[in-house]
Amino acid sequence: MSGFSPRGGPAPRARIYAIAAIMIAVFVGYTAYLFSMQIVDNYIYTERADRVARRSVVLPAQRGEIYDRHYDTPVVTNTESFAVYVNPAEISSGQHEEIFNRVAEFLDIPVEEIHEEIPPENYNTFRPTEVQAGVSFRKVTYLAEHAREFPGVSWRSKPSRFYVEGETMAHVLGYVGDITPEELQVLFNRGYTANSAIGKSGVEQQYDQLLRGEPGRRYRTVDASGRLVEESSREDIPPVLGNNLVLTLDRDIQQLTSRALGDRIGAAVALKPATGEILSMVSNPSFNPNQFYGEGRATAFTQVSLDTFSPFLNRAIQSTYPPASTWKVLMTTAVIEEEVFGLEDTINTKGRYRMGNRVFHEWRESGFGELDIFGGLANSSNYFFWTMGVEHLGVERIAEYARKFGFGTTTGIDLPGEKSGTVPDPEWKRRKYNSPWVGGDTANLSVGQGFLGVTPLQIANMVAMVVNDGVVYRPHVLKEVRDQMTGEVLQTVEPEVLHSMDVDQSTFDNVKKAMRQVITDGTAEVVITTPAVESAGKTGTSQVAGKEENWHSWFVAYAPYETDDPEERVVIAILVDAVNDWEWWAPKAANIILHGIFTNSDFEESVAGLREAPRPLWYM
Amino acid sequence: MQSRSMLSFDVYLVGATLALIAIGILFIYSSGVTSSGRVFSTEYIRQIVWAGTGMILLFATALLPHGTARAWSIPFYIGVIILLIVTLAFGRVVNGARSWLGIGGLGIQPAEFAKLASILFLALFLERAGSAVKRIPTLFAAFAIVALPMALTLMQPDLGTALVFIPIFLVLVFVAGARVRHVLYIVLLLGLAGVLTVIPAWERQIYEGTIPAVSVLTRPQVLTMAVIGTTTVLFVGVVGYVATKRRHFYWMMYGVSLLLVALLSSIAVRQILQDYQMMRLIVFLDPYAEPRGAGWNIIQSITAVGSGGFSGKGLLQGTQSQYQYIPQQSTDFIFSILAEEWGFLGGLVVFALFLLILLRGLYIVLTARDTFSALMATGVVALIFFHFAVNVGMVIGVMPITGIPLFFLSHGGSSLWTALVGIGLLLNVHHNRYHY
Repeated sequence: MSGFSPRGGPAPRARIYAIAAIMIAVFVGYTAYLFSMQIVDNYIYTERADRVARRSVVLPAQRGEIYDRHYDTPVVTNTESFAVYVNPAEISSGQHEEIFNRVAEFLDIPVEEIHEEIPPENYNTFRPTEVQAGVSFRKVTYLAEHAREFPGVSWRSKPSRFYVEGETMAHVLGYVGDITPEELQVLFNRGYTANSAIGKSGVEQQYDQLLRGEPGRRYRTVDASGRLVEESSREDIPPVLGNNLVLTLDRDIQQLTSRALGDRIGAAVALKPATGEILSMVSNPSFNPNQFYGEGRATAFTQVSLDTFSPFLNRAIQSTYPPASTWKVLMTTAVIEEEVFGLEDTINTKGRYRMGNRVFHEWRESGFGELDIFGGLANSSNYFFWTMGVEHLGVERIAEYARKFGFGTTTGIDLPGEKSGTVPDPEWKRRKYNSPWVGGDTANLSVGQGFLGVTPLQIANMVAMVVNDGVVYRPHVLKEVRDQMTGEVLQTVEPEVLHSMDVDQSTFDNVKKAMRQVITDGTAEVVITTPAVESAGKTGTSQVAGKEENWHSWFVAYAPYETDDPEERVVIAILVDAVNDWEWWAPKAANIILHGIFTNSDFEESVAGLREAPRPLWYM
Repeated sequence: MQSRSMLSFDVYLVGATLALIAIGILFIYSSGVTSSGRVFSTEYIRQIVWAGTGMILLFATALLPHGTARAWSIPFYIGVIILLIVTLAFGRVVNGARSWLGIGGLGIQPAEFAKLASILFLALFLERAGSAVKRIPTLFAAFAIVALPMALTLMQPDLGTALVFIPIFLVLVFVAGARVRHVLYIVLLLGLAGVLTVIPAWERQIYEGTIPAVSVLTRPQVLTMAVIGTTTVLFVGVVGYVATKRRHFYWMMYGVSLLLVALLSSIAVRQILQDYQMMRLIVFLDPYAEPRGAGWNIIQSITAVGSGGFSGKGLLQGTQSQYQYIPQQSTDFIFSILAEEWGFLGGLVVFALFLLILLRGLYIVLTARDTFSALMATGVVALIFFHFAVNVGMVIGVMPITGIPLFFLSHGGSSLWTALVGIGLLLNVHHNRYHY
């Protein structure tokens, strides 16, 4: 045994020493490594160990409730609802498929949604993943009672919004949804996180910052399964409750307006001209925001989004129409103020108005004969206003008055997505169509047709300008901000002048007189039957390209015609879209609404009251 | 000839062993206690039972008459092989491997005992082979002895345990007098084959880029060309060596065949290994490549170890371990609890005890009476050392995850008994030293 040492034993010393050397080298290496981990880099691992075990749990801040102007019962509340989570790591391997199917069937969602949220590579992840929100207490109770059949399934309270008025106030109130990555990018610096809920439209969006409050945090130490081990020593940050909002809207008027419009496509606005407070704002078709919470929310949302009549569109501010004859209120103001046509002067109105080689037809074939400015407005004579516009005012002056009244710019209402509309003039037409302004354009502009685009709210504002003798207040839906706990008023919205016009007092008095004649002797005489209040207003019927039998039906009015208390005045503007069957509904709806407001009654009572009036309701 | 009393055991060896077992039981207990102090596992009680019975086995082995081990090495080996086959056929599946044999709650892992049996048989074979160990065919025959239990273990499949047979073989043939260049060839071959096997997965999962040179392994055309190229060069080397008997042709063959065999075996191994197995082998290089998957264990383990600091968080005070972040806390990752709760000092104590056992073991090798005893003792030392190096390396994040327990400390009867019988064999050799 040549390799083996003869002394002491048969093992080869050199090789044993070599092995010993290797072993000692490993021990030294490991000791050094352990030293570097535990002594040198200790702080890194300590920090990491703390972080791993310490989770911060977001304590959601209760979103503020929303009230109407009466501040008695809320129109938007928070309801108890639950989000269901699946923690894949708590499901034994091989069972994921089966459990997912069971959960999906129970929650009535496609199982693909769960697979999408939890791909197989996450099956060992200790992270509860939300698979469904808006789950009812009843279903969560079932889950709790059958916990054994649903391993890894947990739930957390996730209050959702309840819109008491349902479809009726949907456009003003809006709705709340999960924040999208795009929204988060913009809002990250304002304290939003990927789990934030955020207002998607209406007041919920406009005043999200006020409503949402500040989520708090609770720090806890958890074990590997995410189970609570101990409350952490770190102080909790309590959530700051969101503020309650009190709106200027009147729940009863809102309902009345909505019912008066019925299911006709269109919009209606009622406001207080003295302050700009919106009393009601209705847009049809509407949607029920409550269906976006809870089971079936995804399909409900898709359905509303794909509806051809765009229920999400708030037609009162987000849609523009030609104002048609309502425009003549503005024209009348311009004519009187500019003194281009005397108050006693008359025109012999005919059935046709000739401009060069073009002929414009009056809506009444025979014309109206001799008319002064009051008769022109009362009968809504196009011939009269064609003459005024083309021969006396001219496009530039009409456009100037339009801008003074606030057309072509947004009203600044505190709701998102408002349209500014269009006031055309030669410069505008050249830029937009690269073609010159012609006389026919002025004729169209004179009677609210052609390129003009206005929102129903702008039309209401036009009348507010007249009512206020040259001042318009910024329309708004927010009245007060109140503390959610104490109810203390934190902020009150004061009236704010939006536009003011330097126009002679007598001009507006005459315009009001003319508008009163519309009701008493003019186009609206047959429909405005309410004995409850004297009103003044203007009808409008606008042609729509491609529709021969149907027209947009407009009506704008204010009431009472005369009053000592401007605060009680109301302006209403109604548009019924031409897609509806023609029934000249706008003034008819206005009649019901005015009667309802001034007799303090709801829709049914208002209709019943009108039926018993001296001039009984004849159209329904 | 000295007569020795039964009490003249090597106190260092027995003392260090008992100390490690005691520490092990302490931390198995710690691993079974939740942060709220609730004891949810009685593993430590079973470990005490196994330790007690294991100590009896230790002394029984130590007291065996000289020559018994040699006489029983072949029957023991055959018996273990039969057990391994029976395990494959009827064994219980634990953690994905059919490695358990037993009735009811009682069971053994025959692969653990196969390590000892292979050491005994290999020691016997190499003693008989004498200086023939310098010849390559003898090495092949010796390798066959470990290859059989290794293959049976691989079929369970338990890659980690199977790997243990290789260092046993290497150390034994080395000590038995094999040529250094032969041993070196095997070491280089294994290293190269291992690296070539995991490189494509490493490039994909951890480097997450493309290294042009790796395309040799991943693109079939390039791979074929590389194989043909090296085969040609090898052929030239063989022809040159046969024709001229020049030295440099020999080293040319040595180097090129190393490359070729490593290349071919890496291809074969890549076919056999599943993706997740491959990931476990390389994820220690960057556990954050898969923090919730294969990297989880390593991240939790090194976090526990690193956060232990100089003197640790105190027994039962470790957060990582008490909050159950570390998987297999009582078995494969027992050292990470120890390092967390006893810190660097505790780690040093364990290192020192292991080093004491291993160096004492090597001293026993040097003083062994005959070649068989020396080789047997060497095998036991190699076994304990390899387990230590791979397990602790895994826990501190410098070795792949292989699922090899830390002898004496890890919870588990079979591995504890194996370790204690191994110590018994060392004591036996020591007891019978100088009997010329």
